[in-house]
Amino acid sequence: MKTIPVEAYFAVSTALFVLGLLGMIVRRNLVTVLMSLELALNAVNVAFVGADYHMGLVEGQIFALFIIALAAAEAAVGLGIIIAIFRYRLVDSTDEITDMRG
Amino acid sequence: MESLIILLSPLISFILISFFGKSIGDKISGIITSLAGAVSFVFSLGAVFRSLEEPYHIKLYKFLPLEGYDLSVGFYFDPLSSITSAVVTFVATLIFVYSIGYMHHEFGNWTFKFYAYLSLFLFAMLLIVLSDNLLGIFFGWEGVGLASYLLIGYYHQQLKASNASLEAFIMNRIGDWLFIFGIISCFLIFNSLDILTIFNKIPSADPYFLGLATLLLFGGAVGKSGQLPLHTWLPNAMAGPTPVSALLHAATMVAAGVYMIARLYPLFDAAPQTLKFVALIGGLTALFAALAATSHTDIKKIIAFSTMSQLGYMFLGLGVGDPEGAMYHLTTHAFFKALLFLAAGSVITAFHHKLYDIYSFGGLKRYMPVTYAGFTVGALSLAGVFPLSGFWSKDRLIGSYYEVSLVWGLLGSVVAFITAYYIFREGFVVFHGEERFRNRVGYEIREVGSEMKIPVLVLLVMSVIAGLAEGWYMKAVGGMEKSIHLDVALSSFILASLGIASAYVIFVKRIPNPEKAYSALKILHTTLKEQFFTEKLYHRVLAVGYLKGSKIVHTVGEKHIVDGFVNLLATAVQNVGKNLRFAQPGKLNWYAFGMVGGLSFLVVLLFVLLFTE
Repeated sequence: MKTIPVEAYFAVSTALFVLGLLGMIVRRNLVTVLMSLELALNAVNVAFVGADYHMGLVEGQIFALFIIALAAAEAAVGLGIIIAIFRYRLVDSTDEITDMRG
Repeated sequence: MESLIILLSPLISFILISFFGKSIGDKISGIITSLAGAVSFVFSLGAVFRSLEEPYHIKLYKFLPLEGYDLSVGFYFDPLSSITSAVVTFVATLIFVYSIGYMHHEFGNWTFKFYAYLSLFLFAMLLIVLSDNLLGIFFGWEGVGLASYLLIGYYHQQLKASNASLEAFIMNRIGDWLFIFGIISCFLIFNSLDILTIFNKIPSADPYFLGLATLLLFGGAVGKSGQLPLHTWLPNAMAGPTPVSALLHAATMVAAGVYMIARLYPLFDAAPQTLKFVALIGGLTALFAALAATSHTDIKKIIAFSTMSQLGYMFLGLGVGDPEGAMYHLTTHAFFKALLFLAAGSVITAFHHKLYDIYSFGGLKRYMPVTYAGFTVGALSLAGVFPLSGFWSKDRLIGSYYEVSLVWGLLGSVVAFITAYYIFREGFVVFHGEERFRNRVGYEIREVGSEMKIPVLVLLVMSVIAGLAEGWYMKAVGGMEKSIHLDVALSSFILASLGIASAYVIFVKRIPNPEKAYSALKILHTTLKEQFFTEKLYHRVLAVGYLKGSKIVHTVGEKHIVDGFVNLLATAVQNVGKNLRFAQPGKLNWYAFGMVGGLSFLVVLLFVLLFTE
């Protein structure tokens, strides 16, 4: 079985991370922004697991599990906040939530 | 240790009256104050007898250890200090008794405060007299400054009085400022503040530095004793109650300056240039104040100028190297000046504290015989008429002047003539002549009560007999016993008689008519009355100039420079903030972009730093 080189994992991870960041920056929909955030988190997971496999360790996988758990919790809280904002303001676009403008 | 009671008894009286004065009442407060003064006097007498055998020291405690020297509280009783303390407490006690009568019309108006201040005044003065170190003297020095401020401004409802008290305080502050620098220089020279230690170290001191230190110390004396050029507060201090004036001028406060120099005389003796300066200031003040006294019409101000003039005499005496003569004159002066003031106070009391101008009295000798006698004896003594006390002390001083230089001697004689003239002018105008008060007051003029008469009589006796103690005094304080200069004595006696005679001719016989003479010599009269315009100069030029200068500094410096800078800074910060507002649009995406951009920048920076060595 031909092993997948570690660079491939990193390439995928970087690509996913950049996609996540770009999504956070360019998308206006709150739910999409949250999803992009999840994407960036999982990009890190990929990098952890790939590097771990390459080096024959397990700590990276444990980290990945923690991150998944964290992401789940974060998604629950984040979605809750987004729904609360939507309920109060009836908006779902980040453009319309500018209370912090200087 | 029992000598400490001298100091403690006025202090205790002060504390007692301050705390319980309201409940024990004004009259009891006055009696407590007088008793405290009397106790202090009795123990002072004890200290005199003890110190005549051998000077002694009382060290209380050290309160501030410095490197190589401990600041301590201690008292030194030698004949000079204990005799001065006895004189001070004696005169002060009589004045306290007198003030019970004088302040009687104020009883019920928190007058116990007045007695508390009087006790404080006496305590502070005794601190000056008895302290064995310069710092103790300085504490007393400030204490009399405070007490005089409180007492001169006692009638604080009157603008005149509160202004006068402020003026006294500020003028004294200038002097005290010099005085503390003098003390600091003494400490730098001798590394000690102890008077006796300082005296032992004088031969090894740098004479130039010593000259500076003594000059600064003399500055303090100038402020406290109302000499030129810090003199204007002294006549204005007459706004206070008359017992205060008497206390201020006879026993405490102004005597402090002369006493301080006499106490530190070995120090001044080692700085002959300073002594010349002391003599110059003293001589000028003696003449200046005597001239000013000739044209004033306020019953108390004339006596105030007379004090200034006599203090000038004493400083001149100190300057020409006769400190014992100066101190002796201070002692006799305390008696007859207190007598004059108390007599003036009796006149004021008889007129219900309403009239002060001497031309509004006249012919009082029929109504107030005791006061008349008191004033006459005081005036004769001040004029230096044989055989009253003033004759002996003044004569000794004038003799000392002539020994040093003819100029000082002539000045002393001229001032003696003017003194006799002005004090008898006041006496003749107030007690002789027509009764000018008739159409002003509706009440009968009566002699004052016995609590005011007795102090006057006691002081009268003391003014007469104090001159006999000259030999004893000189032996006690270690001064040279000078035989009386017959020519000087005769000439000053003739001059005094001439002064009295001219006052008699002008103000009783009215040749020439004094009113016409005054209007004819209006320019001279005004110049003298305005003290050669020094007071106006201080008020108009220095005080108003200071205000103007402050206003200019305020408008230019404060408003434009300081405020301008602060405002500029605020505007600049605001503008920067305004221009940076775009970076804070409140949009989530924008913030995310900022985070990514910042992180990228940091990562790039890290790589650049790591890989480009």
